[in-house]
Amino acid sequence: MDKKVLKGLLIMIVCVVLVVSAVFVFVKHTEHSEYFTGFLYGAIGVSFFLIMAKILSLIQKEGKQDD
Amino acid sequence: MIDISSIPNIPPVLIYFAGAALIPLLGKGRARKIYLIILAALGLIGVAVLRSPAPGEWEFSVSGFELIFLYVDPLSLIMGYIFAIIGAAAILYSIGVVKENGEFVCGLLYLGSAMGAVFAGDLFTLYIFWEIMAFSSLGLIWYSRTERATNAGMRYILFHLFGGCALLAGIIINYMSTGSISMVPGESGIGYFFVQSGIGYFLLLIGIGVNTAFILLHTWLPDSYPKATIAGAVFMCVFTTKTGVYALARTFPGAELSLFGNEIPFVAYIGAVMCLYGVIFALLQNDVRKLLSYHIISQVGYMVAGVGIGTYIGINGGIAHVFNHILYKALLFMCMGSVIYATGRNNLTELGGLAKKMPITMITCVIAALSISGVAGFNGYVSKGMVIHAAELEEMHILTLALMLGSVGTFLSFLKLTYFTFFRRNDEIEAKEAPLFMLIPMSVTAFLCVALGVYPKMLYEILPYREVALQFHAYALGHTLGTLELLAMTAFMFFSLRVLIMPHDRITYDIDCLYRKAGRGFIWFCEKPLVSFAIGVEKVVLRIVGSFVRFSKNPLRGTRVMIDMMGVALLKPFIFVFNLVIQPVYKYYERDLEEVKMRPVEEMEKMSIGTGMLLILLFFALYLIAMLVHGWMA
Repeated sequence: MDKKVLKGLLIMIVCVVLVVSAVFVFVKHTEHSEYFTGFLYGAIGVSFFLIMAKILSLIQKEGKQDD
Repeated sequence: MIDISSIPNIPPVLIYFAGAALIPLLGKGRARKIYLIILAALGLIGVAVLRSPAPGEWEFSVSGFELIFLYVDPLSLIMGYIFAIIGAAAILYSIGVVKENGEFVCGLLYLGSAMGAVFAGDLFTLYIFWEIMAFSSLGLIWYSRTERATNAGMRYILFHLFGGCALLAGIIINYMSTGSISMVPGESGIGYFFVQSGIGYFLLLIGIGVNTAFILLHTWLPDSYPKATIAGAVFMCVFTTKTGVYALARTFPGAELSLFGNEIPFVAYIGAVMCLYGVIFALLQNDVRKLLSYHIISQVGYMVAGVGIGTYIGINGGIAHVFNHILYKALLFMCMGSVIYATGRNNLTELGGLAKKMPITMITCVIAALSISGVAGFNGYVSKGMVIHAAELEEMHILTLALMLGSVGTFLSFLKLTYFTFFRRNDEIEAKEAPLFMLIPMSVTAFLCVALGVYPKMLYEILPYREVALQFHAYALGHTLGTLELLAMTAFMFFSLRVLIMPHDRITYDIDCLYRKAGRGFIWFCEKPLVSFAIGVEKVVLRIVGSFVRFSKNPLRGTRVMIDMMGVALLKPFIFVFNLVIQPVYKYYERDLEEVKMRPVEEMEKMSIGTGMLLILLFFALYLIAMLVHGWMA
């Protein structure tokens, strides 16, 4: 993938994480917070895994077989 | 009406072992197919009619040890049920793809030994079947007949031999401290078998941890399963790790470790780490069976967490997840086996466009993916919910969060798997639906995934703590709503950001690259420095031996050489200090040494044996007299 696109996507993920965190704090302080937490955990979870996948992709190498 | 008590109580291991022994006599035609179908049915019936054996039944005394070959309680029984069900499905599936009798023999021995392990009533019997499992499953890898499979098989068996040694050492040490090898828990509950703390405790944990694929001991799993045969992988994804979870539930439920003054349920946290680690690595995979293999680690994490929490609901959740996971994971391996069988491809980058070409495989695969992701209405939702509920009840917030995140990651990677295998456009691919013998077990297993999700009471009835399980409400509004929101958000984000997790032809390094480097370093150490050292030692030893040989040929000459050498060695440091006195003596010894060495070794005149013996006796007599005199003087 083009490095510029990758950078843009990573910035986007960070923005999403920030927005989700802000919404999380807001929702946690509302009256019926329990009905929304699923969305928040989902967003946090996906962001977490995407970031982890990107970090781990740094130690990948080109090839088809792992032997 | 059939009276079940009139049917003999036979350990299921015998059915499968006998079945494996007869396979080579049947050739490769229709007789073998019919025989395998009958054998699968017999295995199911054998487990269905099992009941607690009478005292002394299937117990043998060997060297003072009581070995129990059949111990039946709710925990072993539920393991037996699911092993028999999926064993039957795997046998039917194999009929469609397996050509060689040897592969069937390995599969049946593997299935039988897993049955033997879960119905073993003592640790030693468990260990025997544990080792048979390791070697028979090795056959399922090696029957791929590729160099990669051969190498992966070697690494697999090395890991399992290490685990087996740790387990055996743990059993022996535990026996020395408790005096017992029994696994029968008695009145105290299903899994409250007494394990004494200490080195034996940790060796047992390591031994079980290898089979359960604890992180750092897990690398054999994603290394070997993708290289097994198509049918072999279906067998392998079921038995080894689940037998490990069973052994863990027997020996370490709710095990705690004292850390900074707090009692930490460390086994539960090992499960949390497995859950996240497996998912993260699964997301990076391109090989479909490797992706599934990493998900085994992640899903076994839920089971380990449930067992590690150690409450009745936790153990129920862990064991329920074993049951459900075996169904959907075997189904996933069957589906991916069908895809590989039909297309000859196993990488996501090469697949796609199979939804219309393999519709039944696609539907069953989607059902399995929804089950493993914990979508409401499928079996994974029920057992995963039970484990998370157990963690919430114990107020283990970090564990709860880790397990919930694990659900997100699982759904994410199964969206990736199903999308890139079946739904992404690929006009080049040629394939046709899998054979009927493969589709029947896939459809039945998919049906069971849905049935247990819609009507979980069937599962609750056979769980170890039935009464506790029946009080659990899987479809409580808050839980169901929360899970659906979680998965809906995951799906939305996947389709928005799927470019980020597109499959690539890349190799991901796991912790095993360190083991391999360490292994190569060890081999270099053995081949270079160690061999040089050995050659040096050999030379010294040969010189010593040579001197002894020369000495024995002519002891007088040898003694003279020795005296001369000692004289030279002792006087040499002093010749510059006491030049006048020492130098002549030193020169004498040096000259004499050179002179003696120049002369050829002349063998001494040999005496007869009788004369030699007389001399020895004389020597002993003199020694005796000296001792007597010494004693008398004292």
